[in-house]
Amino acid sequence: MIIQTIAAFFATIFFSILFNVNKTQLFLCGFVGASGWFTYLLSLSFGINTVVSSFLASFIVSIFSTILAINRKNPVTIYQIPGIIPIVPGAGMYKALFYLINDELYVASEYLVETIQIAATIALAMLTVYSIRQLLDKIKIYKYKNAKINTK
Amino acid sequence: MNYKLLLNFALLTGEIMLENGAETFRVEDTISRILKTSKCQTAEAFVTPTGIFASLDHPDMDLMTVVRRIKKRQINLNRIALANDISREFCVNELSLEAAMYQIQQVKNEPGYSSLIHICSTGLAAGFFALVFGGTISDMGVALIAGLVFGISQHLLNLIGASKFLIDIIGGMLCALIPFLFIYKIGLGNHFDLVVISSIMPMVPGVAITNAIRDTLNGELLSGVARATDAFIIAASIATGIGIMLSTLF
Repeated sequence: MIIQTIAAFFATIFFSILFNVNKTQLFLCGFVGASGWFTYLLSLSFGINTVVSSFLASFIVSIFSTILAINRKNPVTIYQIPGIIPIVPGAGMYKALFYLINDELYVASEYLVETIQIAATIALAMLTVYSIRQLLDKIKIYKYKNAKINTK
Repeated sequence: MNYKLLLNFALLTGEIMLENGAETFRVEDTISRILKTSKCQTAEAFVTPTGIFASLDHPDMDLMTVVRRIKKRQINLNRIALANDISREFCVNELSLEAAMYQIQQVKNEPGYSSLIHICSTGLAAGFFALVFGGTISDMGVALIAGLVFGISQHLLNLIGASKFLIDIIGGMLCALIPFLFIYKIGLGNHFDLVVISSIMPMVPGVAITNAIRDTLNGELLSGVARATDAFIIAASIATGIGIMLSTLF
């Protein structure tokens, strides 16, 4: 598991280069990708199925991306896109379309459904983190307004 | 305030962000914020993945509407970050309009990494993904070679202006052919499926999928569907290439 996480770290860094991320942010992207994959593997080792593991992994990736984005004043996508690459169901998508082209529709639909489920949970994880962030922002603005009224 | 320059600046910023892989809602938000600094009555923008429409109107001037078509698409997250920075500094008045316009024109020509680094990264990304999915060192070697060959073919086909569709099909074919040659003919590498999946990872449309999701969640339904279709077509091209090669080889 350690080897796979370290490999994910480097794989994410090289992916970030493909996406033309600035040199200074490469290691952070690698860290986000590695932590996502580590969460995925850890969750699988507890016997949790692939779909929920993908959710937990994307959740961690989104949280770290959001924290880094606020900290560095960069768009969230800089960290989120490379971070999510290991989790995106490329293998499932390939297998689904492959069996579709070879006319084995039953097997193809199994992989297709799993691919769609994983993609949907990744979306759900992003939505959850985005909503938490919006909620915290509104609480901060509410507290700030209240503080202003009180000091007047 | 020079409304025409403001409109041009807003459009150029939006164009750079959209061409380089930003989400549609972020581009619309950026253009709107820039236009709203003019305190005009009407400052609207409508953005799709293939075009931008923006309008600026105030009682004391003629209505200005501009349409800009987005023809090429690539991925350069650095330019998005720089454009975002410039627009943020302009909107809090840390930058004058002229300075912002000058800076954004520099961003337009901001180079990415060199082609050599790009090709090597394609190979290395594919190689390390073989390890990520649990392969052996020899699997990593085969995936690395397949990734490098794909990177070189992508670079050459881009030079002659081939469509992305064709590049992905040929890429899929190469990513099935090279693992086949190495694993079954030369004897290097153990897991065929794993190596093929690792070598197609650089082609997997991660940006398209992520942006499709983020756009749909932010209410840009048209853009979300368009990007999802784009992702699906890329995946289908890759699978077609692999399918053609495997059915001729096996």
